[in-house]
Amino acid sequence: MAYTPQYGPGTSIVAENRRKQMNPNYKLEKVRDVTDEDVVLILGHRAPGSAYPTAHPPLAEQQEPDCPIRKIVKPTEGAKAGDRVRYIQFADSMFNAPSQPYQRTYMEMYRFRGIDPGTLSGRQIVECRERDLEQYAKMLIETEVFDPALVSCRGATVHGHSLRLAEDGMMFDMLQRCVLKDGVVKYVKDQIGEPLDREVSVGKPMDDAWVKAHSTIFHSLAGVAFRDDKEYVEYIQRIHALRTKYGFMPKEE
Amino acid sequence: MTESQFPQCRVVPLRMLKPETSERYLNEVVKVEGIRRMMVNGPSIPAVVPYGPARGSPNPNSNRRTIKVGDATMELRVQVGSITFEVEDAGVIEEIRKVTNAFFTQFPAQVLEGKFMKTEASLVDYCRYGPNADPSVIGLVDPRRKEAPVIIQGRK
Repeated sequence: MAYTPQYGPGTSIVAENRRKQMNPNYKLEKVRDVTDEDVVLILGHRAPGSAYPTAHPPLAEQQEPDCPIRKIVKPTEGAKAGDRVRYIQFADSMFNAPSQPYQRTYMEMYRFRGIDPGTLSGRQIVECRERDLEQYAKMLIETEVFDPALVSCRGATVHGHSLRLAEDGMMFDMLQRCVLKDGVVKYVKDQIGEPLDREVSVGKPMDDAWVKAHSTIFHSLAGVAFRDDKEYVEYIQRIHALRTKYGFMPKEE
Repeated sequence: MTESQFPQCRVVPLRMLKPETSERYLNEVVKVEGIRRMMVNGPSIPAVVPYGPARGSPNPNSNRRTIKVGDATMELRVQVGSITFEVEDAGVIEEIRKVTNAFFTQFPAQVLEGKFMKTEASLVDYCRYGPNADPSVIGLVDPRRKEAPVIIQGRK
């Protein structure tokens, strides 16, 4: 019988959303439109329209060693062209942001190729070849894993994910990369905090009901409490017990 | 040195405040008589980018601006998250609570009672700042800062 991955335990909406995001067969709902140029501007790695700088000659132009793995694994478009490795980093507010660092890494590992994610408590960075990155970034910004107010692209100075929201519902950002203007969130700086030549609109912040329905974070005050999901608690306790027991290296007599 | 028996309280709104709202709230609350010291806390908003690839470039930010409280002007360097008060007696806290509850209608704010400011210099403060540190700011900010505390007068 073919193996069907379960992706994660739990009966709550949070658990369901986590499974949806991880499952590569589930098509993430597209919520907003961002142009390719907008994504390039937010990333800030190259000027829009300029050629991709390269780290090595295209694979077709160079002799590859005789390697069985290289025969099995097909290179991504970026790797084929010899692009530089560049990154996008997200900070997700604990107040019901639609994704969070661990979740992002799981999701990206299931959905994308040729990536190197880095998971931290308040931010998640993903590195890959520049041309692949732009595609992935576009998907990450346009779909339901992004909320303009609660998620933000921050290459540096990411502080804010665990703070109270501002009066207008925006997550705190020391560099104020995005501002809420007439109900629409606009990036005025790129992800590292350099001012942009023009504002980049990423759409309206989602309303409370949507945010709660799409959250992947347990939060006893702002959303679903972890303890309310009995199946999740049971699973985590099982893992905890097994890890602890294994720490004592039990031996069968 | 501040007497240790002065009561203290801290106002914590559910959301972090914009400079305009902070200005309006502070102008309401300074009308309460008997506030000895007041401290505005929150995450810092630096004038220049402190680290990262854009380090050293200016950081234009609409949340960092000068506000006027009473007849004194002060530069907000933080996004206002909480405001700590040291007051003459417990009755003043009740007054602050009344003003706070009347002011915050869109979202709630808590008024916590307790001890939030140092009331005398500790040994560490003495080692760091020496015997001549300004006692009115010990435990609140770095006493070596060049800016003096703002004195608010002319409460209306």
